[in-house]
Amino acid sequence: MTFLELSPLYALPLAALPVVIHLIHLYRRKQVRWAAMMFLFTAQQMHKGLSRLHRIAILCLRVLAVFAILCAIARPLAGGWLGLTGGAPDTVLVLLDRSASMEEVHPATGVSKRLAAVRNVSKAIEDAVGRRSKVVLIESGHGKPLLLEHAGAMTDLVETAATDAAADIPGMLQGALDYVTTNKTGRTDVWLVADLQRSAWAQESGRWEALRGAFAALPGVRFHVLTYPQVPEEDLGVRVERVAQRRSGEKAELLLDLRVARRGAGAGAGPLEVPLRLVVNGVATTSKVTIQESELLLQAFPVAVDRSTVRGWGRVELPADAFPANDVFHFVFDEQPVLASVVVSDDEAEAAPLAAALSAPAEPHQKYRCSVLPVKRAAEIAWEQTGLLVWHAPIPAREEAIHAQMKEHLAQGRAILFLPPANPGAAEFAGLSWGAWETLDPPAGPDWWRNDTGLLANTRDGTALAVGGLEVSRLCKIGGAGIPLARLPGGGALLMRAAEQPAYFLATLCGAGSSSFARDGVAMFAMLHRALQEGAGTLGAAQQRIASADALARGGEGWRPADERAVPAGEMVLKAGVLASGKQLVALNRPASEDDFSTVSPAVLKECFAGLNVQILSDAMEEGGSLTSEVWRTFLVAMALALVGEALLCLPPRRAASPLERGAAGAFAVHFSKS
Amino acid sequence: MAETGSFLEPAVLARLMALPVHARHAMLGSVSGKHRSPVRGSSLEFAQYRKYVPGDDTRRLDWRTWGRSDRFYIKEFEADTNLRLCLLLDTSGSMGFGVEGATRFDYARKLAGTLGYLAAKQGDAVGLWSMAADRVELPARRGASHLGLVLEQMGGLRPMGGTTLIGALHDVAERIRQRALVIVFSDFFVPPAELKGALQHLRFRRHDVAAFHLLDQQELDFDFERPVRFVDMEGGEPVQADPSLIARNYREAVANYLKEMDELVRTTGLDYHRVITQERYDAVLARFLLGRTPKTGSR
Repeated sequence: MTFLELSPLYALPLAALPVVIHLIHLYRRKQVRWAAMMFLFTAQQMHKGLSRLHRIAILCLRVLAVFAILCAIARPLAGGWLGLTGGAPDTVLVLLDRSASMEEVHPATGVSKRLAAVRNVSKAIEDAVGRRSKVVLIESGHGKPLLLEHAGAMTDLVETAATDAAADIPGMLQGALDYVTTNKTGRTDVWLVADLQRSAWAQESGRWEALRGAFAALPGVRFHVLTYPQVPEEDLGVRVERVAQRRSGEKAELLLDLRVARRGAGAGAGPLEVPLRLVVNGVATTSKVTIQESELLLQAFPVAVDRSTVRGWGRVELPADAFPANDVFHFVFDEQPVLASVVVSDDEAEAAPLAAALSAPAEPHQKYRCSVLPVKRAAEIAWEQTGLLVWHAPIPAREEAIHAQMKEHLAQGRAILFLPPANPGAAEFAGLSWGAWETLDPPAGPDWWRNDTGLLANTRDGTALAVGGLEVSRLCKIGGAGIPLARLPGGGALLMRAAEQPAYFLATLCGAGSSSFARDGVAMFAMLHRALQEGAGTLGAAQQRIASADALARGGEGWRPADERAVPAGEMVLKAGVLASGKQLVALNRPASEDDFSTVSPAVLKECFAGLNVQILSDAMEEGGSLTSEVWRTFLVAMALALVGEALLCLPPRRAASPLERGAAGAFAVHFSKS
Repeated sequence: MAETGSFLEPAVLARLMALPVHARHAMLGSVSGKHRSPVRGSSLEFAQYRKYVPGDDTRRLDWRTWGRSDRFYIKEFEADTNLRLCLLLDTSGSMGFGVEGATRFDYARKLAGTLGYLAAKQGDAVGLWSMAADRVELPARRGASHLGLVLEQMGGLRPMGGTTLIGALHDVAERIRQRALVIVFSDFFVPPAELKGALQHLRFRRHDVAAFHLLDQQELDFDFERPVRFVDMEGGEPVQADPSLIARNYREAVANYLKEMDELVRTTGLDYHRVITQERYDAVLARFLLGRTPKTGSR
């Protein structure tokens, strides 16, 4: 155990004060000359052991009370905190969330949640168990167990540095479970250090139940969950949603779609002028923009570039605030790739309008190409050049090669739109499957659709798509759990997105026999091109990707930071920035979920660990850290308990009746009987 | 040396003068007195008839009975004699318990002095024994001058040292050869089993034994609030004790002791008086004297 304030420890000998006072009292007690010593001796003899024990107990409690108050004043760190939970375990597993959201800094101390967490936990473990336990780190970036020499080494590791990736708490716990079961770690303390960001905890995930069951079956595993629930009071964040190039005559410029979000207390506080710094190929310009409410969407924001510049990288920066991770967004640009799509269908009538829509340019400076393949030629799909696959055929079984290729296609960030086949099978993909066909008589149109995001969102100028006017006469039910984007009256999903991947299921066909999608055209065109745009992000030599451990899994080797910044090789994929390899440019950025400050409640947190041996602590990130605060309270409670115990022991016993009150009648009766 | 005035109060003596000191058993006195004698004498009170045996004084033959029964009978009468009052004062250190001037010993001295005075005034012999290391032994004698000596010696006694009560009682039992009324004034802070032997010894010598068991209310209540250092008044080791912890056990020990004393009284036929020294001593004496008055009336 260590202490923040050492000076009160010099007063620790004062803990012996009760003993000294007791001894002084012993020799300065009131003296009484007493005759009936024989009764006194008898009483002493009868009470000797208990009396001594009683006296010792009182003295010990008094000493404990003084000791506790001195320790509380000395602000003990961690030792008491851990000490209360028992001795040193065989293994200490530290699960560290180092997602972008953990980079929020405390305005007073300037220390990020991650840094505070690493410092506190390493010191706590170091103080409490020293080097007696094996310390293993599992961090959210790579999720691989890393054996440490000692807990103190954590602060110097690149594996505990900041990242711009997301965290997957259930995934980290699964990693811990695998490590514990594989290595038979014995008595294990699992320290989970994270903020309470809802997306990281994924409390709706079915994995929690399995994890709880598995951990409950393991004896000797204890959890210490150190949370950082703070959210920034005021924050500005920026994202670049689209990058395009435009050339006209001698003029060349980049067109950026920017979204500047304003969160926290200032979100509704009136217009705010924000300096926007744009860096393109190392050249910086600053523009001022004004946010009226909580969000500013700048579409086709022009940034002039040299006409000879056709490829490069850049970033958009906002002034630093409490959450610096979302103040920068990187982008890359190159000659526009052909936005290629493939329609796989045996029904030419259905495929034709789809191909026509996907071939028609949505952007005048963009090239589009769409090819139609029958199902039996699906193997000819050029996966690397395809941004969107429209699959109008039964879902391939899990064992089929095409199934794995589809999964890989999604993993690369490209999109698939599933259309219902004539004979839907039982197979599923990305958690979704087809049900039975049904006919709607009369035909119905969607009564609800998401107009804020997704394939049916409003246009950039805020105009709603004419989705409500669509008519659907045949519907194939969608099974499984996904994110509904449009619903028909009665609750049936018309369009659904898989939970975590750009895989879409449309419950009807676009042809005249099933719906008016093809006839009305606009909704279908927007839907298809948005799906294509989403999937085309990873096409071409310049790609936007999400920072994660597998961000460059298929990108080849030889990646280096384009801006020549020094980043450890293993950490490159976890940090926002621009990486280059040959002609390839990749801009890595934080996932959108890291900009969402919604948190899980303490009740949900408890529910996640229900039935497990868990201690949930919250670090206030104040100066000195909350660990101190926790131990301080513990000592105060100990002191209070000691004083209460002492008071109870010092309570005078109920007065017994005087012997003569009990025996006088008998005594005098003897006398009178004699007389 | 204390003045006799300090333990003899004329008002109390005057009030108690009407209550004579009676022995409960026959006494063997040397002179005629108010107390019954085991020897048949020539008083006016008829005692019994018994058969004549050779050697009897023929002058005491009852001729009327011979005339009626043709047998010789001797007519016997009660003899009245004087009383020997032996006052046994415990002078061990524990008798000094109490506030200055109103100690247990002062109380005992008032009881003993008053009784001695009353006995002497009715013509009985009075003696004094102190039961401690430096003993005072004044055998019972009659006369005002002897009473003066007894009171003077009594006034000079001081409670000190350890108790020798048991040994002293055995010693007194051996030394007092003739029947006497033996009154013991003590706190009896000795094991009742040992005390029983000593009292039975006195009874064996045919003494009429009475005891004043003098206790202080504080010794019974033991109502101290804070830890106290108890100093043994008889010179033993001091005891550190927290009365709040041991009071219950203390009172239990006292109760057991008193119960044993009650049992001792029952088996020895002792004329026992348990006295709380906060009581008025004249009331205690009146109770004692009235208790010894024969039911048939005083002679």
